[in-house]
Amino acid sequence: HPHSRPRHPGARTMLPLLLLLLATAHGLDKFPALADLTLGGRTTASTFVLEQPRCVFTKLQGDAVIWLVVAVPEAVPNFNNSVRPGTPERQFQNFPGKALAYMTLNTTILNYPCPKNPGDITVLRVGSETSCAKDEKRPTCNGPLPGPGPYQVKFLALNNSEPVAETAWSDPITLRTAQPLSSIRVMGSGRSAGMIALTSILSILFAILLAGLVAMLVCGLDGSSGSSTFNKPEAVTVRRYNTHHVYDQPAARL
Amino acid sequence: MAKSDGIIRILQGLLVFGNVVIGMCGIALTAECIFFVSDPHGLYPLLEATENDDIYAAAWIGIFVGFALFALSILGIVAVIKSNRTLLLVYIILMLITYAFEMASCITAATHRDFLTPNLFLKQMLERYQKSETDNNNDKWMTEGVTKTWDKLMLQNQCCGVRGPSDWQEYTSAFRNTHSDADFPWPHNCCVMDAQGSPMNLDGCKLGVPGYYNSNGCYDAISGPMNTHAWGVAWFGFAILCWTFCVLLGTMFYWSRIEY
Repeated sequence: HPHSRPRHPGARTMLPLLLLLLATAHGLDKFPALADLTLGGRTTASTFVLEQPRCVFTKLQGDAVIWLVVAVPEAVPNFNNSVRPGTPERQFQNFPGKALAYMTLNTTILNYPCPKNPGDITVLRVGSETSCAKDEKRPTCNGPLPGPGPYQVKFLALNNSEPVAETAWSDPITLRTAQPLSSIRVMGSGRSAGMIALTSILSILFAILLAGLVAMLVCGLDGSSGSSTFNKPEAVTVRRYNTHHVYDQPAARL
Repeated sequence: MAKSDGIIRILQGLLVFGNVVIGMCGIALTAECIFFVSDPHGLYPLLEATENDDIYAAAWIGIFVGFALFALSILGIVAVIKSNRTLLLVYIILMLITYAFEMASCITAATHRDFLTPNLFLKQMLERYQKSETDNNNDKWMTEGVTKTWDKLMLQNQCCGVRGPSDWQEYTSAFRNTHSDADFPWPHNCCVMDAQGSPMNLDGCKLGVPGYYNSNGCYDAISGPMNTHAWGVAWFGFAILCWTFCVLLGTMFYWSRIEY
């Protein structure tokens, strides 16, 4: 059965068992599966990213070709492995109308070496080839998917067009749908507290100033001779009076 | 006489000091508003396209109010020292007009800052970035402004979209109409660039591998300078107006107590 886990010989037997337990607990035992959640482009509107089938096909010969099968869920129960890739029933350009599944991303086992280097990102991007999407001469094109799905995938190994190994079908994969941008609500901005405080305080101050101006003019016109006014600091000129001393008068004419 | 003479001297001194401060603040306000109007961060096209660029109008008003405050403060000093009632009345009335303008500037800056939400920029970016069919010259001008600004923003700040690259996936956009989702899940300016200005690893960028694309949003790079701008105009103006309020009250009291 190709669906087997690698067994590391030697003393490190606990580690794969622990990993298996961990994987089962996280549901990662299911293969094929979407790639890690850290990838930002894991699913887009027309592409998705799968984990490569590393260490999955263990008993294949070197010249077997591994294909990726992408199908709509209706095609899964009665799927016929013997239909050759590139025929109209498996042509990408006819998907999902006349062809309920297509086959693409063919390669040999040499491109999926086992075990994989730690730290390598081993993924397959389904839907990345845009140049051949409408080219009928390329029926095995890895073109962008026509809709949000859902889709199910599996890997199928063919030797001289005879199926020799396969994985299970994946869980249904649904792609992203973009919301219309008119649904973004722009209005509804709340008034911030700072703005309200600023407006009210400034308005009050301005009102006080206007009132003060009015009071100033009214009082100024009415009581310009009001009490407790400041005198202008200019010096009051004191005119010198010549005092007429009585005794300065000329002697009375007798 | 000596006592009132002393009080008048103190009041004169205070008013002169108040006017000196107003003059200096006026110059500072002018300088600050010139700095904001010069748009050092290049964000003006975004505001222009929202048709809501009133925080720039507030800054323009601030420039002229600053000059007016400076000139009026000199008039005020002269009027207080000469104790000339006519000059003081002219000073008070002109100051009140300037006060009203500055009040308008502060309230405009504060109010319109509240309109600049992330959703506003998101919608504008999705509608205008790389839009290919423009209706008229005005539309074309705004679209080019938005596109150039976003390209520059994403390159210089190493960011993508308003909240992140997922903006381009979650919503339809003008960009999506001309660039296929498989080739451009997000614009190539979101990719980490090498020294020559091309993406370091285009496949890694399209996959969304951390380290090959910018996963953070640009909203902080936009709202930071705009907040500084709006609050700088609004709150500095508010401080000047509070001080001017006190000086004007003192001047009115002084006016009502001197004789012709």
